[in-house]
Amino acid sequence: MTNAILPQDLRSVRFRREREPGWKRLEGLVARVEQGGIASLGFDDARDLTATYRQTINSLSVAREISLDQALLEYLDNLAARAYLVIYAPQASIRNLVANLFIRGIPQAVRRSAPAFLIGFGLMVVGALLGYTLVMRDPSWFYTFVPGELAGGRDPSSSHDVLRASLYDDAGGTHNSLASFATYLFSHNTQIAIMVFSLGVFWALPTVLLTFYNGTVLGAFFAVFAQKGLGYDVFAWLSIHGVTEISAICVAAAGGAQLGLAILLPGDLTRKDALRLRGRDATKLLILAGVMLFAAAILEGFFRQTVQSPTLRLVIGWGMGLVWLTWLTCAGRPHRETGV
Amino acid sequence: MRRRETKTAAQYDQDLRARQGKQVLWITPPEGVPIGFACAGLGARIGAQLLDLLVTYGGLIALLALVSYYSGMSQETANALFALFAFLIRIPYYILTELVWNGRTIGKRIAKIRVISINGRRLDPHQVVVRNLMKEAEVFTPIMLLFGVTGSSGWAQVGMFIWLLIVLAIPLFSKQTQRLGDMIAGTCVVLMPRVQRSTELTDQARPVADRFVFLPHHLEQYGRFELQSLESILREKATTQYAHARDIDVARVIGKKIGYTDRVANGDARNFLAAFYNAQRAHLEARQIFGDRRDDKFHRTPQDGTPR
Repeated sequence: MTNAILPQDLRSVRFRREREPGWKRLEGLVARVEQGGIASLGFDDARDLTATYRQTINSLSVAREISLDQALLEYLDNLAARAYLVIYAPQASIRNLVANLFIRGIPQAVRRSAPAFLIGFGLMVVGALLGYTLVMRDPSWFYTFVPGELAGGRDPSSSHDVLRASLYDDAGGTHNSLASFATYLFSHNTQIAIMVFSLGVFWALPTVLLTFYNGTVLGAFFAVFAQKGLGYDVFAWLSIHGVTEISAICVAAAGGAQLGLAILLPGDLTRKDALRLRGRDATKLLILAGVMLFAAAILEGFFRQTVQSPTLRLVIGWGMGLVWLTWLTCAGRPHRETGV
Repeated sequence: MRRRETKTAAQYDQDLRARQGKQVLWITPPEGVPIGFACAGLGARIGAQLLDLLVTYGGLIALLALVSYYSGMSQETANALFALFAFLIRIPYYILTELVWNGRTIGKRIAKIRVISINGRRLDPHQVVVRNLMKEAEVFTPIMLLFGVTGSSGWAQVGMFIWLLIVLAIPLFSKQTQRLGDMIAGTCVVLMPRVQRSTELTDQARPVADRFVFLPHHLEQYGRFELQSLESILREKATTQYAHARDIDVARVIGKKIGYTDRVANGDARNFLAAFYNAQRAHLEARQIFGDRRDDKFHRTPQDGTPR
């Protein structure tokens, strides 16, 4: 008996001869898309891209069964991988993505996270009330809550005039608004926001403590000024950027609380799946907190010391608050069907 | 008493394939046929990250230096501008580039690696955002705290140092060198697949196919591993004296093993190998179609992670 099987009769060789034109076509198309993007293909080419991709994927599956040609298997594997990356590429444009995020994504995520928001804002308010009450009763509590470098000389022992001067920058002119804006970005609130959010994974405990503590600091500060009869002025001074900034921290806390709730109360899901699911909303909340902190930085850097009238400060601060509230509650609602 | 067995070439090959199998990420696209991607090494990833830092911060410093040289702004303003833009570009740079170029930043393009989604679908914008936000929380913020850029205390620095050690150790122990952010986002960084051309090897021997005759018992000796080793020999062009001598050697060993009695002339060694490759491949492929896979001459069954 001779070796009756000639190479041209080999199943894998016939298979290759039959399919190879399709592979070559796909190779050319993939190379073009990698160079110039999917938009560089005409109608016929785009149609061929998907058709030859499916054919090549099919060839890969068959070749793994019938061929022992190592080089062919590697060729098909790599070709399929490259075509896969070209075909399963993100399809939305950046502009659409960003617009979608701000018009629908973030507001809807906020409305879905009502319980987390209750936790975030609630803790801040309760903390502030506690801090305020304690310091009003006994000013020495102030030193317990507020670290020295944050106080910056503004403590219960300061005189009325010193405190007043810290609210109204009477010197004027020497103030470099841009520099204070930038240093602010890295200052403690951005860090707090990041920590309040990311530590939420640990059963939300650090989030709760940090947010509450921040509330007490706020309350203590307010109490010091209030005791010297500057309550209205400090309220205005805090409002101009604080409405945005403190809300941003609360939003970050709400994001952290979402993560913590996923761990604490996963419901029917496994904790990992719950974290993944709630993480989608939590991420949007963190982006929102970032945007708000940025806005707060602009307000703080450019307006807080240049706008000297307390009334105007109040109007700007709470006006911004109203803008945020309107955006987050009204944007991205489905259009109501107008029935007959 | 038996002596300790030494490893054969086939065993080394199996070990190698098992080890490589761990480095390969199998993605199943909706078409249902798994595609293998080689995971990127830690070196390539750190290199890409350093290049990205160079691009972002280097570009920013160069730009500011140029602007301040011509406009003569004060050092303080330049510093402030730097801090401002660094905050603006740091995370968005990674997110935008990975979205626009489908998982590749500039550094990753140069290092020829890219991010893919593990679930076999397209890379979700949410995944890109998460893995890059986590990079900030994982690496950048701790580094800034560690070096006291933001004026942190001693204990915080010790804590951050330990945290950094843990975070950097995770990819070393993770199966697909994923960092924490990759795990949460469900992504993996892989090498860019490269397409190599390959010709049909059986065509080589067609003119000489009938000069060598192999009987069925000649073809019962070898399996896949030996066939593919022979393939790699035949795919090299035998132009050097060394390669020629090796061909003669291999032909003699094969002839002896399979019990081939005809004499093979030295000048004919390569033709003999090509003809034997054809006959052996035809034989093994025919058996494989009937479900009889033979991985090597010891009749092992395939054990690598390749899905069938």
